[in-house]
Amino acid sequence: MEELVEELKKEIIDVLNLEEVTPDDIDPAAPLFGEGLGLDSIDALELIVLLEKKYGIRLATPSDGKAIFKSVNTIAEYVQKNRKK
Amino acid sequence: MAVEKEWAGTTYGNGWMHKWLIRMLRLCNVRVFYVLVAVFVVPVCLVVNPGRRTTYRYFRERWGLTPFRAMWKTYRNFCLFGQVVVDKFAMYAGKKFDVEIEGYEVFRSRAAKPEGFMQLSAHIGNYEIAGYTLTSEKRLNALVFAGEKESVMNNRNRLFDTHNINMIGIRSDMSHMFEINNALGNGEIVSMSADRMFGSAKSVTRTFLGGQAEFPMGPFAVATSRGVDVIAVNVMKTAATKYKIYVTALDYDKTAARKEQTEQLCRAYAAELERMLRMYPEQWYNYYEYWK
Repeated sequence: MEELVEELKKEIIDVLNLEEVTPDDIDPAAPLFGEGLGLDSIDALELIVLLEKKYGIRLATPSDGKAIFKSVNTIAEYVQKNRKK
Repeated sequence: MAVEKEWAGTTYGNGWMHKWLIRMLRLCNVRVFYVLVAVFVVPVCLVVNPGRRTTYRYFRERWGLTPFRAMWKTYRNFCLFGQVVVDKFAMYAGKKFDVEIEGYEVFRSRAAKPEGFMQLSAHIGNYEIAGYTLTSEKRLNALVFAGEKESVMNNRNRLFDTHNINMIGIRSDMSHMFEINNALGNGEIVSMSADRMFGSAKSVTRTFLGGQAEFPMGPFAVATSRGVDVIAVNVMKTAATKYKIYVTALDYDKTAARKEQTEQLCRAYAAELERMLRMYPEQWYNYYEYWK
Protein backbone atom coordinates (compact mmCIF):
# COMPACT_ATOMS: atom_id res chain seq x y z
CA MET A 1 0.00 0.00 0.00
CA GLU A 2 2.83 2.40 0.91
CA GLU A 3 4.41 1.72 -2.45
CA LEU A 4 1.16 2.59 -4.21
CA VAL A 5 0.83 5.81 -2.17
CA GLU A 6 4.33 6.87 -3.23
CA GLU A 7 3.59 5.96 -6.85
CA LEU A 8 0.38 8.00 -6.76
CA LYS A 9 2.17 11.02 -5.30
CA LYS A 10 4.64 10.97 -8.20
CA GLU A 11 1.86 10.49 -10.75
CA ILE A 12 -0.16 13.36 -9.27
CA ILE A 13 2.84 15.69 -9.40
CA ASP A 14 3.53 14.65 -12.98
CA VAL A 15 -0.01 14.76 -14.34
CA LEU A 16 -0.88 18.05 -12.61
CA ASN A 17 2.47 19.59 -13.48
CA LEU A 18 3.16 20.58 -9.85
CA GLU A 19 6.72 21.68 -10.55
CA GLU A 20 7.50 23.04 -7.09
CA VAL A 21 6.07 20.10 -5.15
CA THR A 22 8.00 16.95 -4.19
CA PRO A 23 6.44 13.64 -3.08
CA ASP A 24 7.59 14.37 0.47
CA ASP A 25 5.59 17.61 0.46
CA ILE A 26 2.34 15.71 0.01
CA ASP A 27 0.71 14.48 3.20
CA PRO A 28 -1.15 11.34 2.05
CA ALA A 29 -3.91 11.95 4.59
CA ALA A 30 -4.40 15.66 3.78
CA PRO A 31 -7.34 16.86 1.64
CA LEU A 32 -6.38 17.26 -2.02
CA PHE A 33 -9.15 19.69 -2.96
CA GLY A 34 -9.83 23.11 -1.47
CA GLU A 35 -7.19 22.83 1.25
CA GLY A 36 -3.94 20.85 1.03
CA LEU A 37 -2.74 20.97 -2.57
CA GLY A 38 -5.70 23.23 -3.40
CA LEU A 39 -6.76 21.27 -6.47
CA ASP A 40 -9.93 22.09 -8.41
CA SER A 41 -12.31 20.45 -10.89
CA ILE A 42 -9.86 20.56 -13.82
CA ASP A 43 -7.29 18.75 -11.67
CA ALA A 44 -10.02 16.25 -10.75
CA LEU A 45 -10.45 15.52 -14.43
CA GLU A 46 -6.73 14.87 -14.83
CA LEU A 47 -6.88 12.43 -11.91
CA ILE A 48 -9.95 10.74 -13.41
CA VAL A 49 -8.08 10.23 -16.69
CA LEU A 50 -5.02 9.03 -14.74
CA LEU A 51 -7.06 6.35 -12.95
CA GLU A 52 -8.54 5.24 -16.26
CA LYS A 53 -5.33 5.16 -18.30
CA LYS A 54 -2.90 3.83 -15.70
CA TYR A 55 -5.11 1.58 -13.60
CA GLY A 56 -8.02 0.81 -15.97
CA ILE A 57 -10.56 2.24 -13.52
CA ARG A 58 -13.64 4.05 -14.71
CA LEU A 59 -15.91 5.23 -11.92
CA ALA A 60 -19.45 3.97 -12.46
CA THR A 61 -21.04 6.23 -9.83
CA PRO A 62 -19.86 9.83 -10.34
CA SER A 63 -21.18 10.95 -6.94
CA ASP A 64 -18.61 8.64 -5.26
CA GLY A 65 -15.81 10.74 -6.72
CA LYS A 66 -15.63 13.24 -3.88
CA ALA A 67 -14.99 10.52 -1.30
CA ILE A 68 -12.45 8.74 -3.49
CA PHE A 69 -10.48 11.89 -4.25
CA LYS A 70 -10.47 13.09 -0.64
CA SER A 71 -6.76 12.35 -0.18
CA VAL A 72 -3.91 10.32 -1.66
CA ASN A 73 -4.69 7.58 0.87
CA THR A 74 -8.33 7.29 -0.22
CA ILE A 75 -7.30 7.16 -3.88
CA ALA A 76 -4.74 4.46 -3.09
CA GLU A 77 -7.35 2.39 -1.23
CA TYR A 78 -9.76 2.68 -4.14
CA VAL A 79 -7.08 1.82 -6.71
CA GLN A 80 -5.95 -1.22 -4.74
CA LYS A 81 -9.49 -2.59 -4.62
CA ASN A 82 -10.52 -1.78 -8.19
CA ARG A 83 -7.44 -1.71 -10.41
CA LYS A 84 -7.60 -3.68 -13.66
CA LYS A 85 -4.02 -2.95 -14.73
CA MET B 1 -15.61 38.66 -7.72
CA ALA B 2 -17.42 41.91 -8.55
CA VAL B 3 -21.09 41.80 -9.42
CA GLU B 4 -20.45 42.57 -13.06
CA LYS B 5 -17.80 39.86 -13.30
CA GLU B 6 -20.29 37.15 -12.59
CA TRP B 7 -23.64 36.14 -13.98
CA ALA B 8 -26.05 33.78 -12.19
CA GLY B 9 -26.87 31.94 -15.41
CA THR B 10 -30.61 31.58 -14.88
CA THR B 11 -33.57 32.59 -16.98
CA TYR B 12 -35.65 35.47 -15.66
CA GLY B 13 -39.12 34.86 -14.19
CA ASN B 14 -40.73 32.14 -12.13
CA GLY B 15 -42.41 28.87 -13.11
CA TRP B 16 -45.87 30.43 -13.34
CA MET B 17 -44.62 33.15 -15.69
CA HIS B 18 -42.86 30.60 -17.88
CA LYS B 19 -46.01 28.46 -18.17
CA TRP B 20 -48.08 31.52 -19.03
CA LEU B 21 -45.56 32.59 -21.67
CA ILE B 22 -45.59 29.15 -23.29
CA ARG B 23 -49.42 29.15 -23.40
CA MET B 24 -49.48 32.60 -24.99
CA LEU B 25 -46.83 31.61 -27.52
CA ARG B 26 -49.00 28.70 -28.64
CA LEU B 27 -51.64 31.26 -29.62
CA CYS B 28 -49.57 34.24 -30.84
CA ASN B 29 -46.87 34.91 -33.39
CA VAL B 30 -43.43 35.43 -31.85
CA ARG B 31 -43.30 38.90 -33.47
CA VAL B 32 -46.04 40.08 -31.10
CA PHE B 33 -43.76 39.24 -28.19
CA TYR B 34 -40.75 40.81 -29.90
CA VAL B 35 -42.65 44.12 -30.02
CA LEU B 36 -43.73 43.80 -26.38
CA VAL B 37 -40.14 43.06 -25.39
CA ALA B 38 -38.75 45.99 -27.38
CA VAL B 39 -41.32 48.51 -26.12
CA PHE B 40 -41.92 47.48 -22.51
CA VAL B 41 -39.28 45.05 -21.26
CA VAL B 42 -36.01 46.30 -22.75
CA PRO B 43 -36.36 49.94 -21.59
CA VAL B 44 -36.87 48.69 -18.01
CA CYS B 45 -33.92 46.27 -18.32
CA LEU B 46 -31.73 49.06 -19.63
CA VAL B 47 -32.45 51.01 -16.44
CA VAL B 48 -32.16 48.23 -13.86
CA ASN B 49 -29.62 45.85 -15.43
CA PRO B 50 -25.92 46.76 -15.00
CA GLY B 51 -25.24 44.74 -18.14
CA ARG B 52 -26.10 47.86 -20.14
CA ARG B 53 -22.77 49.41 -19.11
CA THR B 54 -20.65 46.44 -20.15
CA THR B 55 -22.55 46.07 -23.42
CA TYR B 56 -22.15 49.78 -24.15
CA ARG B 57 -18.40 49.46 -23.51
CA TYR B 58 -18.31 46.36 -25.72
CA PHE B 59 -19.62 48.41 -28.63
CA ARG B 60 -17.47 51.45 -27.83
CA GLU B 61 -14.16 49.70 -27.16
CA ARG B 62 -14.34 46.54 -29.29
CA TRP B 63 -16.10 48.04 -32.30
CA GLY B 64 -15.09 51.68 -31.95
CA LEU B 65 -18.65 53.01 -32.27
CA THR B 66 -19.61 56.57 -31.40
CA PRO B 67 -21.48 57.03 -28.07
CA PHE B 68 -24.83 57.42 -29.80
CA ARG B 69 -24.30 54.37 -32.06
CA ALA B 70 -23.09 52.33 -29.07
CA MET B 71 -26.25 53.27 -27.13
CA TRP B 72 -28.46 52.26 -30.04
CA LYS B 73 -26.56 48.99 -30.47
CA THR B 74 -26.90 48.30 -26.74
CA TYR B 75 -30.66 48.70 -27.08
CA ARG B 76 -30.59 46.39 -30.14
CA ASN B 77 -28.49 43.86 -28.21
CA PHE B 78 -31.02 43.77 -25.35
CA CYS B 79 -33.89 43.43 -27.85
CA LEU B 80 -32.15 40.53 -29.61
CA PHE B 81 -31.45 38.83 -26.30
CA GLY B 82 -35.14 39.23 -25.43
CA GLN B 83 -36.06 37.71 -28.80
CA VAL B 84 -33.77 34.75 -28.17
CA VAL B 85 -35.45 34.13 -24.81
CA VAL B 86 -38.88 34.38 -26.49
CA ASP B 87 -37.68 31.94 -29.18
CA LYS B 88 -36.60 29.42 -26.53
CA PHE B 89 -40.05 29.48 -24.98
CA ALA B 90 -41.60 29.39 -28.46
CA MET B 91 -39.71 26.13 -29.01
CA TYR B 92 -41.08 24.80 -25.73
CA ALA B 93 -44.52 25.81 -27.09
CA GLY B 94 -43.89 23.73 -30.20
CA LYS B 95 -43.04 26.50 -32.69
CA LYS B 96 -40.60 25.68 -35.47
CA PHE B 97 -37.80 27.84 -36.84
CA ASP B 98 -36.12 27.74 -40.25
CA VAL B 99 -32.57 26.57 -39.60
CA GLU B 100 -29.76 26.58 -42.14
CA ILE B 101 -26.57 24.66 -41.36
CA GLU B 102 -23.07 25.56 -42.55
CA GLY B 103 -20.50 22.82 -42.05
CA TYR B 104 -22.93 19.97 -41.37
CA GLU B 105 -20.39 17.51 -42.84
CA VAL B 106 -17.95 18.50 -40.07
CA PHE B 107 -20.50 17.35 -37.48
CA ARG B 108 -21.56 14.25 -39.40
CA SER B 109 -18.01 13.02 -40.02
CA ARG B 110 -17.23 13.17 -36.28
CA ALA B 111 -20.57 11.62 -35.36
CA ALA B 112 -19.82 8.70 -37.69
CA LYS B 113 -16.61 7.80 -35.81
CA PRO B 114 -16.75 5.48 -32.79
CA GLU B 115 -14.84 7.98 -30.63
CA GLY B 116 -16.53 10.69 -28.65
CA PHE B 117 -15.97 14.34 -29.44
CA MET B 118 -16.54 17.77 -27.96
CA GLN B 119 -18.84 20.49 -29.16
CA LEU B 120 -17.94 23.95 -27.88
CA SER B 121 -20.45 26.77 -27.81
CA ALA B 122 -20.55 30.37 -26.58
CA HIS B 123 -23.03 32.82 -25.13
CA ILE B 124 -23.87 34.27 -28.51
CA GLY B 125 -26.91 33.68 -30.73
CA ASN B 126 -29.18 30.88 -29.51
CA TYR B 127 -27.24 27.67 -28.97
CA GLU B 128 -30.21 25.71 -27.65
CA ILE B 129 -31.52 25.45 -31.24
CA ALA B 130 -28.50 23.29 -32.09
CA GLY B 131 -29.69 20.65 -29.64
CA TYR B 132 -32.84 20.11 -31.65
CA THR B 133 -31.18 20.29 -35.05
CA LEU B 134 -27.73 18.65 -34.97
CA THR B 135 -28.73 15.13 -34.08
CA SER B 136 -27.03 11.78 -34.59
CA GLU B 137 -26.92 8.27 -33.17
CA LYS B 138 -24.51 9.55 -30.54
CA ARG B 139 -25.96 10.90 -27.32
CA LEU B 140 -25.25 14.58 -26.72
CA ASN B 141 -24.32 15.45 -23.14
CA ALA B 142 -24.74 19.15 -22.46
CA LEU B 143 -22.98 20.68 -19.47
CA VAL B 144 -25.41 23.18 -17.95
CA PHE B 145 -25.59 25.53 -14.99
CA ALA B 146 -27.18 23.41 -12.23
CA GLY B 147 -29.03 26.39 -10.75
CA GLU B 148 -31.29 27.01 -13.77
CA LYS B 149 -34.99 27.40 -12.99
CA GLU B 150 -36.88 24.12 -12.57
CA SER B 151 -39.52 25.10 -15.13
CA VAL B 152 -36.86 25.79 -17.77
CA MET B 153 -35.06 22.53 -16.99
CA ASN B 154 -38.35 20.60 -17.15
CA ASN B 155 -39.18 22.06 -20.55
CA ARG B 156 -35.69 21.33 -21.81
CA ASN B 157 -35.88 17.78 -20.48
CA ARG B 158 -39.23 17.26 -22.20
CA LEU B 159 -37.83 18.36 -25.57
CA PHE B 160 -34.37 16.88 -25.14
CA ASP B 161 -35.70 13.44 -24.20
CA THR B 162 -36.85 13.00 -27.78
CA HIS B 163 -33.54 14.23 -29.19
CA ASN B 164 -31.08 11.87 -27.44
CA ILE B 165 -29.77 14.66 -25.21
CA ASN B 166 -28.64 14.34 -21.60
CA MET B 167 -27.96 17.33 -19.37
CA ILE B 168 -25.06 17.28 -16.93
CA GLY B 169 -25.36 19.86 -14.17
CA ILE B 170 -22.21 21.55 -12.82
CA ARG B 171 -21.97 20.45 -9.18
CA SER B 172 -19.72 21.37 -6.29
CA ASP B 173 -18.81 17.69 -5.67
CA MET B 174 -17.23 17.67 -9.17
CA SER B 175 -19.31 14.64 -10.18
CA HIS B 176 -19.92 16.39 -13.51
CA MET B 177 -16.27 15.81 -14.41
CA PHE B 178 -16.74 12.03 -13.97
CA GLU B 179 -19.90 12.15 -16.09
CA ILE B 180 -18.08 14.09 -18.82
CA ASN B 181 -15.19 11.64 -18.82
CA ASN B 182 -17.52 8.64 -18.92
CA ALA B 183 -19.54 10.15 -21.79
CA LEU B 184 -16.43 10.75 -23.91
CA GLY B 185 -15.14 7.27 -23.01
CA ASN B 186 -18.46 5.83 -24.23
CA GLY B 187 -18.02 7.55 -27.62
CA GLU B 188 -20.65 10.22 -26.94
CA ILE B 189 -20.68 13.97 -27.60
CA VAL B 190 -19.99 16.45 -24.79
CA SER B 191 -21.18 19.99 -25.26
CA MET B 192 -20.08 22.93 -23.15
CA SER B 193 -19.61 26.65 -23.49
CA ALA B 194 -15.99 27.78 -23.58
CA ASP B 195 -16.36 31.54 -23.33
CA ARG B 196 -17.30 31.89 -19.67
CA MET B 197 -15.51 30.83 -16.48
CA PHE B 198 -17.24 28.19 -14.39
CA GLY B 199 -16.21 25.66 -11.75
CA SER B 200 -12.47 26.21 -11.95
CA ALA B 201 -10.55 29.50 -11.74
CA LYS B 202 -7.93 28.25 -14.22
CA SER B 203 -7.95 30.20 -17.45
CA VAL B 204 -6.14 30.84 -20.70
CA THR B 205 -5.58 34.48 -21.63
CA ARG B 206 -5.98 35.29 -25.32
CA THR B 207 -6.12 38.36 -27.50
CA PHE B 208 -9.76 38.54 -28.49
CA LEU B 209 -11.39 41.38 -30.45
CA GLY B 210 -8.35 43.52 -29.82
CA GLY B 211 -8.20 43.07 -26.04
CA GLN B 212 -6.97 40.51 -23.52
CA ALA B 213 -9.71 38.12 -22.42
CA GLU B 214 -9.71 35.09 -20.15
CA PHE B 215 -11.13 31.84 -21.45
CA PRO B 216 -11.87 28.93 -19.12
CA MET B 217 -9.24 26.22 -19.29
CA GLY B 218 -11.76 23.47 -18.47
CA PRO B 219 -13.25 22.75 -21.91
CA PHE B 220 -9.83 22.69 -23.57
CA ALA B 221 -8.33 20.58 -20.76
CA VAL B 222 -11.18 18.06 -21.08
CA ALA B 223 -10.58 17.71 -24.83
CA THR B 224 -6.79 17.45 -24.64
CA SER B 225 -6.83 15.08 -21.65
CA ARG B 226 -8.51 12.48 -23.83
CA GLY B 227 -7.23 13.72 -27.21
CA VAL B 228 -10.72 13.93 -28.69
CA ASP B 229 -11.83 15.93 -31.74
CA VAL B 230 -13.37 19.33 -31.08
CA ILE B 231 -15.89 21.34 -33.07
CA ALA B 232 -17.31 24.81 -32.48
CA VAL B 233 -21.06 25.17 -32.90
CA ASN B 234 -22.64 28.62 -32.96
CA VAL B 235 -26.27 29.31 -33.77
CA MET B 236 -26.95 32.84 -34.95
CA LYS B 237 -30.29 34.56 -35.44
CA THR B 238 -30.62 35.77 -39.03
CA ALA B 239 -34.31 36.83 -39.11
CA ALA B 240 -37.42 36.69 -36.92
CA THR B 241 -37.92 32.94 -37.36
CA LYS B 242 -34.63 32.01 -38.99
CA TYR B 243 -31.34 30.78 -37.58
CA LYS B 244 -28.04 29.70 -39.10
CA ILE B 245 -25.86 27.07 -37.44
CA TYR B 246 -22.11 27.33 -38.02
CA VAL B 247 -20.14 24.13 -37.41
CA THR B 248 -16.35 24.48 -37.55
CA ALA B 249 -13.58 22.01 -36.74
CA LEU B 250 -11.16 23.27 -34.09
CA ASP B 251 -7.87 21.58 -34.93
CA TYR B 252 -4.94 21.08 -32.57
CA ASP B 253 -1.76 19.04 -32.66
CA LYS B 254 -2.55 16.00 -30.53
CA THR B 255 1.12 15.06 -30.37
CA ALA B 256 2.24 18.40 -28.90
CA ALA B 257 2.83 18.97 -25.17
CA ARG B 258 -0.45 19.24 -23.23
CA LYS B 259 0.01 22.93 -22.46
CA GLU B 260 0.62 23.66 -26.13
CA GLN B 261 -2.44 21.62 -27.14
CA THR B 262 -4.58 23.65 -24.75
CA GLU B 263 -3.15 26.92 -26.12
CA GLN B 264 -3.76 25.84 -29.72
CA LEU B 265 -7.33 24.82 -28.99
CA CYS B 266 -8.10 28.04 -27.14
CA ARG B 267 -6.58 30.04 -30.00
CA ALA B 268 -8.75 28.21 -32.57
CA TYR B 269 -11.86 28.68 -30.41
CA ALA B 270 -11.25 32.41 -29.89
CA ALA B 271 -10.63 32.89 -33.62
CA GLU B 272 -13.92 31.20 -34.47
CA LEU B 273 -15.80 33.21 -31.84
CA GLU B 274 -14.30 36.39 -33.24
CA ARG B 275 -15.34 35.34 -36.78
CA MET B 276 -18.91 34.91 -35.58
CA LEU B 277 -18.98 38.27 -33.83
CA ARG B 278 -17.58 40.05 -36.87
CA MET B 279 -20.66 38.76 -38.72
CA TYR B 280 -23.12 39.22 -35.83
CA PRO B 281 -21.67 41.81 -33.41
CA GLU B 282 -25.06 42.48 -31.79
CA GLN B 283 -25.53 38.88 -30.64
CA TRP B 284 -23.01 38.95 -27.79
CA TYR B 285 -24.66 37.95 -24.51
CA ASN B 286 -21.91 38.02 -21.90
CA TYR B 287 -23.17 40.79 -19.62
CA TYR B 288 -20.11 41.33 -17.44
CA GLU B 289 -16.62 42.83 -17.79
CA TYR B 290 -15.19 40.40 -20.29
CA TRP B 291 -11.91 42.07 -21.15
CA LYS B 292 -9.08 42.77 -18.69
